Amino acid sequence: MSVEGEAPIGAGAVLRAPEHRVSPRAIPFWRVSALIGDVVLVVVALVAWLVVPGAPGWVGLVVLALAAGSVAHVVLMPRIRYRVHRWEVTDTAVHTRSGWIGRESRVAPISRVQTVDSRQGALMRLFGLASITVTTASAAGPITVDCVDAETAREVVARLTAITAATEDDAT
Amino acid sequence: MIPAPDDGWMRLSPRKLLLDPVKAVGQAIVPVVVALVGISQSDMRFWPIIVPVAILGPVVLGALPWLTTHYRLTESQIQVRSGILNKNTSTAPLDRVRSVDLEASLLHRVLGVQKVQVGTGVDDDRITLDALAASDAQALRTTLLGRRAAAAPPSAVRAGAGDGDGDEAARQATDHAEGYAAPAPGVPAQPFPPAPAALLAAIDWSWLRFAPFSLGRLVLLAGAVGVFSQFADDLPIWNEETATSAWAWITQFAIVAVVVVLAVGGLGLWLVVSVVGYVLQWWGFRLVREHGNLHLTSGLVTTRSITVEEAKVRGVEMTEPVLMRLVGGAELSTLATGVEDGVTQVLPPCPREVAVGVGGAVLEQPGPLTRTLVRHGPKAHRRAWFRQLRNALDLVVVLAVAWWWFDLTWWWLAAIAVGLLALAAAVGEASYRHLGHALGEQHLVAGSGTLARVRTVLETDGIIGWVVTQSWWQRRIGLADLTATTAAGAEKVVVCDVRLDVAVALADAATPGLLTDFVPEPATA
Repeated sequence: MSVEGEAPIGAGAVLRAPEHRVSPRAIPFWRVSALIGDVVLVVVALVAWLVVPGAPGWVGLVVLALAAGSVAHVVLMPRIRYRVHRWEVTDTAVHTRSGWIGRESRVAPISRVQTVDSRQGALMRLFGLASITVTTASAAGPITVDCVDAETAREVVARLTAITAATEDDAT
Repeated sequence: MIPAPDDGWMRLSPRKLLLDPVKAVGQAIVPVVVALVGISQSDMRFWPIIVPVAILGPVVLGALPWLTTHYRLTESQIQVRSGILNKNTSTAPLDRVRSVDLEASLLHRVLGVQKVQVGTGVDDDRITLDALAASDAQALRTTLLGRRAAAAPPSAVRAGAGDGDGDEAARQATDHAEGYAAPAPGVPAQPFPPAPAALLAAIDWSWLRFAPFSLGRLVLLAGAVGVFSQFADDLPIWNEETATSAWAWITQFAIVAVVVVLAVGGLGLWLVVSVVGYVLQWWGFRLVREHGNLHLTSGLVTTRSITVEEAKVRGVEMTEPVLMRLVGGAELSTLATGVEDGVTQVLPPCPREVAVGVGGAVLEQPGPLTRTLVRHGPKAHRRAWFRQLRNALDLVVVLAVAWWWFDLTWWWLAAIAVGLLALAAAVGEASYRHLGHALGEQHLVAGSGTLARVRTVLETDGIIGWVVTQSWWQRRIGLADLTATTAAGAEKVVVCDVRLDVAVALADAATPGLLTDFVPEPATA
């Protein structure tokens, strides 16, 4: 049915990185939130190991490995993530890149944007950060710009709202 | 007939008074009987209370909706009011009505009523009127769809409406090229005279040969077997003595015969169930194109009438399940926006050529369903294999643990492991062969599926964003999953394990301009 190796269109095409980095304060924010989650996990595992009578010794090793993994996660993840996460809003499109082990790039045309939300959790407020989520008519299409500083977020939301208010059709 | 729009609210068909109680009794009968049996075994005192409650409860509960549900058609809206304590009013602007589906179960048909569901496109909620007299339901459907057709495609207007109104509507339709966001034109809501409808497909009983190869109903059969086994437990033959002696007899003399009989019996049962199911579901199947809609009717016992607005169809998906492939069969669904469930199966299992033909007619282009796909190359091939082999290995490890735990013979495990790995290799190879992509003039085509071969065709106009994801493993070998997001169908179309640069170029070519800012070099090697 199919042909092997038909000259693939545009070999060598690259999706360039979006222009802006997220706020540098995202690093401590990610670190703290990872720390909270990991500490809970490790403590629960440790308590379970200590409380359950007659748990074999290798379970202790598992708990230790979990703790070591958590330390690596807390130390490395925020730095890698800061290098990867980027965003850009042009007059025609929203473009983001995210991930730390994998990579995910998302692009949506502004003409198809339906809602623009910004969100600021309690911890995010402490670090002066906010996230912007742009949705389209597709459940697979929401784009989140994580952890930009709150002031930038306000500007971007205002700008996006102004642009999308000008478009008229039902964006499907 | 539907009376002319006025302020008066109308009730549903009075026959609903029969419909709902019967349905309620049907639903309540099992718990009620269980409760009665439970109580009768313990105590007789409560009988005088329980019997009236058991009988009156369903009747009252069933009658309430009829008393409290009203609907009306105004100049510009259809409104439905329901509820006792929480008054609930749903309204839909008439020019936003996207679909009107009619459905009638056996009970509905005995009573001569139909359930009407009105879809409005923007949100997923549908206005449901259960039930209207069949003639009222048909008239409502014609009114709603005819009215919308009068607002939108000029061709339908020419075919249908009378002199003054037709001109008026045509003028308005040209004023609003998009048509749908426009205010309702001043056409009175009258039943639209039937326009010539083009028949796209009708049932051909030679297609019945595909029924046994379509495994969708296997679940039903399994359920039936499960129910039967519940009763079989209680049969007197199942005491230990007969079972042991029967088993001894079987193992001595007749194991081959028993296996053969079971296999033949199972196949025969499956043949009957699948064919009967096919006939019940697809009896009188017709797919026609009228007023800019695809209109599907079918069903022997429960009849369905489904309407999909063509302007909202963004693509089609053709599925060839593995067994159907062997006999050259396929199924076809449309991917539409603004329908409750965006994927609508519009053809029964039928010959592949028919599915391709109807798909081409729906897309108004014959190409996309037959064109050759660009393959994703040796790395994707390897990945397809490894993915399946890894799944098989996981299973083998689990089995090995179980074997070690129960201390069973290792020969069996080895045999199973070899079998699983061989199967995984076959499935991996198949899934790679199904993988591919192509870009037509107006369509993105994605091939996917592990056992079934699935080909998804999406209008590039319907693409409202792109997602490129790479797992850690994919990054090592330069592959990516490209997702085209859309409002239609399953809301996304995924091109798996394609080279990253090819993915970017494909996305760039499919939606010209969108990625220009982000793809620095012109896409040439």
